[in-house]
Parts: sequence; structure tokens; C-alpha cells
Amino acid sequence: MLELLTYPFMQRALVAGLLLGSLLSLIGIFVILRRMAFFSDGIAHASLSGVAAGVLLGSNPLFTAIGFSAVFAAIIAQVEKRTKLSSDAIIGLIFTSGMALGIILLSFGSGYRPELTSYLFGNILSLQWTDVILMAGLSALIAGFILARHKLIALFILNPETAYVNGVRIDLYRTLLYISIAVTVVLGMKLLGIILVSALLIIPVSTAKLTARSFHGLMWSTVIIADLDVVLGLVLSVFLNLPAGATIVLCGMAVFAIVAIISKIPKQQLAVSE
Amino acid sequence: MSALKIRNLDVTLGNQRVLEQISLDVEDGEIAAIIGPNGSGKSTLFRAILGLVPYSGKISVLGSPIEKVLSSVGYVPQYFDFDRTIPITVKEFLSFAKPKLTSKETEELCREVRVDALEDKLIGELSGGQLQRVLIAQALFKKPKLLLLDEPASGIDIQGAKAFYDLVEHLNREHKVTVLLISHEVNFVYGFAHKVICLNRDLVCHGPPDKVLDKETLKKLYGSRIDMHIH
Repeated sequence: MLELLTYPFMQRALVAGLLLGSLLSLIGIFVILRRMAFFSDGIAHASLSGVAAGVLLGSNPLFTAIGFSAVFAAIIAQVEKRTKLSSDAIIGLIFTSGMALGIILLSFGSGYRPELTSYLFGNILSLQWTDVILMAGLSALIAGFILARHKLIALFILNPETAYVNGVRIDLYRTLLYISIAVTVVLGMKLLGIILVSALLIIPVSTAKLTARSFHGLMWSTVIIADLDVVLGLVLSVFLNLPAGATIVLCGMAVFAIVAIISKIPKQQLAVSE
Repeated sequence: MSALKIRNLDVTLGNQRVLEQISLDVEDGEIAAIIGPNGSGKSTLFRAILGLVPYSGKISVLGSPIEKVLSSVGYVPQYFDFDRTIPITVKEFLSFAKPKLTSKETEELCREVRVDALEDKLIGELSGGQLQRVLIAQALFKKPKLLLLDEPASGIDIQGAKAFYDLVEHLNREHKVTVLLISHEVNFVYGFAHKVICLNRDLVCHGPPDKVLDKETLKKLYGSRIDMHIH
């Protein structure tokens, strides 16, 4: 087991996995609080156009996908503010047109593109240190913003007018929150892929909700559970030779199921068995 | 001094004129209630006062444009739309907005508004009346001079609503805070508001309830099906 840690690919995967697991799950709390799981799914799919642009231009697709997703997030925030369209409709428009643009861009290229599969299904074991450094920098920036402003972000989500009266610039916070979620989702694509990236936004916080009795407790336990899911998933995927992203998601679901069962057992029964 | 002065206010949202030529004053220390049917522009008037919708005309809050006095304005919304299973304790929720009070003043205020016993409860588990008290407490943490309450007693039973209006009256008297509230409960408004503002896109009436609330006015507001009984 410890021998695994001597392999550079595993070191990179563990560092990136812990970073992204923490960030995705932390931001997932606000995604769930604002009921915007569709937003993260939409951004993940729309950012295929960014991946395709990167592949075509011969640059790192992660960079272009981050740029595209941040622009999409800012567009969603502005359209949401300026029109009467529902959030779901706006996200649906960006989701589908972004994906369509990605498919058209990919049609201009020729031959098999193995890097595309890594974005669709995730391939954390193929990460390079440059990717990990980028992930660490952006994770620190986004987590810093979320941790420093979590109270005002929560207030903004609960009721924008109340936040505004308390001095929150709601347009700025909306845009920053959306961009933070979008960039986090794109970073997470390397871990879980476009299709499964929402899992780490939703599963750890759903697990932590089963037992947490305060918002701060929820924040801590969500991050710990996410990191547990990631480590378990990575180790199992290497031992069993399974895809890392999908194994992490299933480990997350297993942890959720176990916590759900334990939290349903009356406390008295647990005390007797001890 | 007027806590709120509105002159020739027009609000158009999309192609629809929502408020038309509204002019009114709310004096310092008053409790003023805005009444009117659904879609009459009550919430839009609040949003215009807060500067959240574009308008033409003039609105002055505590003698200044709203942006300059936001720190002296408390606001209690009608709805809190959120995932109620997210655990946020009342104590945590109250800390989300930066308080202007010392910790001793905070404790006293929580006792006064009767949220001290709720501090460890989760906001998703509170009853409608309890949540409204928590929202009032949070708004009061700013020591506001003007308190805006958007349909504060909607969804609360009659006893709860009465207790809530008693609390508002107490805060107005003891904390000298001017209160502007939107209400559907005309009977409560009649009993405790110093001024009533009747809206139906334009201003139907404006003044002390016993002077301006009559059958004619209510008919203009709610149609001919409504009747008036003074208890």
C-alpha cells in the first residue's frame, strides 16, 4: 500500500485528488444551498467547447476550458440579472450551445484524440505537475474567497435583498460565485470527467448533511468525507485496475449509504451495542 | 423629519407600468402599512425604495439616497427560499450579517425578540413565526432607523400574527425605529398602524387608518366583494 506512494503518478493524483475533493465538496455546499446542481452539470458539458478549442490550438485544454467556463458563468449571471428567463432555461441554452460548439470544433480536427476521453471520463493518474500546480493555485484562490466570505455568500443565497441591505454587492457576488463554481467544475473534470464531475459537488455534502448539526460542522465534515471518498477511490482503482473517477464516485455512494444506515439507527441501540 | 419621502414615482418593468405617480411621506417614528391586492405593486415599491429596480421620480430615505443610508435600514423578507435540510443554526444565521451591537446588546436583543431560546435550533426546522422573529432580530442587529417588513405575518396563524404585530409595535415604541410594512391583514393594520398606504398601481389612499380606510377605499382596492366590520 505504502509502496503506491512512491510512484510519482500516484503522488500527483493524491495531491490533486485531495485538493479537488476539498474544493468541489466545499463549493458543493453552496451549490446545494442555492439549488443549482443543474448549473454545474451545464457548465461541465458546455466547457467541452473549451476542451475542443485547446485540442485544436495545440494548447493545454485545461487552460482553454477554464477560460470558456468562466465566460459562460459570467454570461449566465448577466442574462439572469437582465432578463426574465428562468435560470434553468439560461443554463440549458448555454449547456447545449456550448456542447454543440465543442462538437463542431472537434469535427475540424482529424484522427483519434485520446486526451478527449480523459476529459469525458476523467483520468487523474495522467496528471502532470504543471496541472497540479495550476490546480493548487486556483484551488487556493477559490477556497480563500469562499472561506473568507462564506457568511455573506450564504446570506446572499438565502435572500439576495437581505444581503444587499447588509452591504453585499449582489451582482458582483453572483458573478464571482458562478465563476468560482465553473472553474472548480472544470478543474474537477480531470478527476471525474465531464459526465461525473457533479458527483463530488453533491455526494459529500449529502453525506455530511445526514449528521451535521451546524453550518460550520457541515463545512468541515463535507471536506473530510470528500477527501475520504477520493483516497478510498484512488487506492481501490489502482488495486483493482478500475477507472479512478468512477471508483471515487462509487466509494462516495458507499460511504453515503453507510452513514445513512448508521444515522437511522437510534442512539440508544448504538449505546447498548457499545 | 421624513424617514421616507417619495415624489412622482413611476416604475415600469418590461412593457408594464407597475407603479404610477406615487407620492407619499412616512414620518420619523411612524408605523406605516402598505396594503393592496396581489399585483398592486407593493413589493415593487419596496424594491424601488431599496434601489433594486429602475424608477423615475424621487425617493429619499432618512434624508439621503438609499445607497448612502443602507447601513441604517433593516429589511425582513417575506420568503426565504432555500434547501431546508442544510443545517444552519439560528446563532450562525444571526452572525451572517455583521452586527453593530456589542455582545451584551446582542444577548439583550435576542431575549427581547424571544430568539434566545432558539439559538441552537436549525433555521430549516423553525415555524413561520419563529423564523420571522429570527429575521427581525437579524435586521435589528444593525440598529436600523428604518425597518422594512415584507408581508411579515403571511403564513402565520392568527395568534402568531397578533404576537408578531405586538412585537413590531414594541420595537417601534422602545427602539424608536420607523416601520414600513406590507400587510394583507387589514384588521391588524387598522389597530396598530399610524398610517396606511393603499396601493393599486397608483396611490388609492394615504393617511391615518381611521380616516382613510372606508368602504369606498376598500372597494377600490379589493373590488365589491369585500365588506368592512369595525370591532
